[in-house]
Amino acid sequence: MQDTVKTWLTEGTVDIFLGYKMVEGHPIPHGFNRDRLDEIDEMVTGPARYPLEKFATQLLQMHPDAKIGILARDCTKRALNVLTIWQQISPGQIQTLQVNCCPSPLGSNTDCSYLQPADTGAYKAAHGVDGSQSLQALEQMPEEERFDRWMYEFQKCIKCYGCRNVCPMCFCRECSLENKDLVGNGHLPPDIPIFHLVRAVHMAGRCIDCGLCEQACPAEIPLRMLYRKINDMMGNLFDYHTGSSPDQPPFSLLGDKPSTGLAPMTAEAAKNE
Amino acid sequence: MECKFVHSVCSYCGTGCGILFQVVDGRLIGTLPMKTHPVNKGKLCIKGWNLHEHVNSELRLKNPLIKTFGRFSRVNWDTATRYTADRLQEIIKKHGPDSVGVLVSAKATNEENYLAQKFARAVIGTNNVDHCARL
Repeated sequence: MQDTVKTWLTEGTVDIFLGYKMVEGHPIPHGFNRDRLDEIDEMVTGPARYPLEKFATQLLQMHPDAKIGILARDCTKRALNVLTIWQQISPGQIQTLQVNCCPSPLGSNTDCSYLQPADTGAYKAAHGVDGSQSLQALEQMPEEERFDRWMYEFQKCIKCYGCRNVCPMCFCRECSLENKDLVGNGHLPPDIPIFHLVRAVHMAGRCIDCGLCEQACPAEIPLRMLYRKINDMMGNLFDYHTGSSPDQPPFSLLGDKPSTGLAPMTAEAAKNE
Repeated sequence: MECKFVHSVCSYCGTGCGILFQVVDGRLIGTLPMKTHPVNKGKLCIKGWNLHEHVNSELRLKNPLIKTFGRFSRVNWDTATRYTADRLQEIIKKHGPDSVGVLVSAKATNEENYLAQKFARAVIGTNNVDHCARL
């Protein structure tokens, strides 16, 4: 792997390679370039995961002609697909070096256990939403109970904006979460559930289920579960599969000419709505 | 093109969260929580997430200021230290060492806090040392 990166850098395939470097026992993200080829010997693939694709997008904003290499898990590839669809990166500007991956219903290789949810405590299991269960298991609870459980989770929010800050899909210049008409300033918890639902709606057709938001959440709100539900609806209603569908999601289209074929709503999906 | 991440400790409170500063082409552009840090384990509060902003802020105070005749004027560090020492000596001579108090901070390092109390006890000669976290 190190040799591949060295070759890419020396032959000019890429100008910078985003991976991880071991620094004082901590794997931290690092941009390897051809001026410091010796650093590549310290390159590691994990286990900590940072939004490398977000860093790549930021670098391309500053250097639009740069060629970037990136250490890629399955979620990185989905992220790059969606970023290309949203015209944040151009295809061909980013070279990926595939490494092992973590489990997600959107991915196929699942031999890394890094994203296995932590054990759920008794109080959370009784009153909150257990992020380790499946979406189907959660939906078997009565609607009112589910609402109460989600509200319990949302009221823990300390409004750190970490979910948005770490999200590789959050590239908007203006964020609805900072719009004072939607989310008031200076209140804790933030306006719930609007704060989380605004973000959830914006994740429709964008969330690539990398799980970084949930890992960054100091209040341990099961955000991944929330966005999985959104993606599930996108699949059921619009036959849109984030990360693999080649077009923008139908929500982004104005007018009546959708570029994605609308799948007929199944009886089961209709009942769920 | 250079993109590196510099690990550090958040300077906002005494918790000591591990952070990474995102540096692109020599300019600080972002802060991230350190995933493997034993204190915060990849999480941060809103202040930590925005730590880079005050470094680049135009409002940041980079020089000592001395207030004379109701106005602040910029001076160099030697002048500021000299002025502070003279005024402290003047006050101690007139009102005694216990007229001075030293307030230290959770945002400073252990070593800096140690030095501050040493300064209060050994140099000024007072036990008036307190800490912002002892509220």
